[in-house]
Amino acid sequence: QGLKPLNSVIPTESPDLIFGTSKPFPGLPAADPFLGTNKVPDLQKVFQRSDGLPVHLKLGYPDRLLYRTTMALTIGGTIYCLVALFIASQPKKQ
Amino acid sequence: MAHQAHSYHMVDPSPWPILGAAAALLTASGLTMWFHSNSPRLLIMGLISTILVMFQWWRDIVRESTFQGHHTPTVQKGLRYGMALFITSEAFFFLGFFWAFFHSSLAPTPELGGQWPPVGIKPLDPMDVPLLNTAILLASGVTVTWAHHSITEASRKQAIHALLLTVLLGFYFTALQAMEYYEAPFSIADGVYGSTFFVATGFHGLHVIIGSTFLLVCLLRLIKYHFTPSHHFGFEAAAWYWHFVDVVWLFLYISIYWWGS
Repeated sequence: QGLKPLNSVIPTESPDLIFGTSKPFPGLPAADPFLGTNKVPDLQKVFQRSDGLPVHLKLGYPDRLLYRTTMALTIGGTIYCLVALFIASQPKKQ
Repeated sequence: MAHQAHSYHMVDPSPWPILGAAAALLTASGLTMWFHSNSPRLLIMGLISTILVMFQWWRDIVRESTFQGHHTPTVQKGLRYGMALFITSEAFFFLGFFWAFFHSSLAPTPELGGQWPPVGIKPLDPMDVPLLNTAILLASGVTVTWAHHSITEASRKQAIHALLLTVLLGFYFTALQAMEYYEAPFSIADGVYGSTFFVATGFHGLHVIIGSTFLLVCLLRLIKYHFTPSHHFGFEAAAWYWHFVDVVWLFLYISIYWWGS
């Protein structure tokens, strides 16, 4: 089993039965799928686009926003932490 | 463009490992600042950044597996080893607290009145809420197995019902245990009885919350058609973890709640 080519949209588990793709009983009207339709194939197309983006930024703007917020909090917090520890390690003057 | 000649997953460069380490630094130093300088600001920053990193890291793993197809059988085998080893390490973690409990309770010192439970301690009735909690966790073990069978048999509705029931039972346990903590006639400060009781059951409760959250994420993924009858390791990992949490409770119930009363 190797990695399938990047521009292929066939998922590794496509031979298996996937929820929501079974055909309805002939003669009955098509029932609504239980709790939403299967959007995985569409998402597979989106995430397999050859745009060179790493997986954590693949959706563009919302990913960048969350990433930058996390970076700001952690990097800013680390600087604050080093300052706070420096101050806390100073001897208290009587 | 060259393709790899092996079935392993060479991940995209990711910021989450180092940012996760930074978040751990903030959490640990935040605890220190809270204890010694009465300032929770750093701790709150640490907890929020930890949650943000966890959310994005695991989101990326779902993207890499379900949407990009990188989880070959070889990769899945590695994940299975990883989860099994992690649960084993957690078992050793709890072993330590059980050791502490038996150390103090098998040979109670004169300071405790030479008895267990110590003089002045009124233990909880093991046949009351603790027995109900045991039934709840055992039932949740049945429902999670029912969910697994439903997934492998491609019964979507049944799988969702069974997993939902499992998550609800998990939250019910947590709610009951929180009430017990509030109503208990003894506290963590009540000598070695209080320490061993609340540290052991407290860490167990934390693991119930973690396990319930893991199962809830699996429920959301199940509803979104992420799992197939033959490939659903995320769910299996959650189920393994949940069974582990159940077994730890059984040991806690037998030794601390029942024998220790």
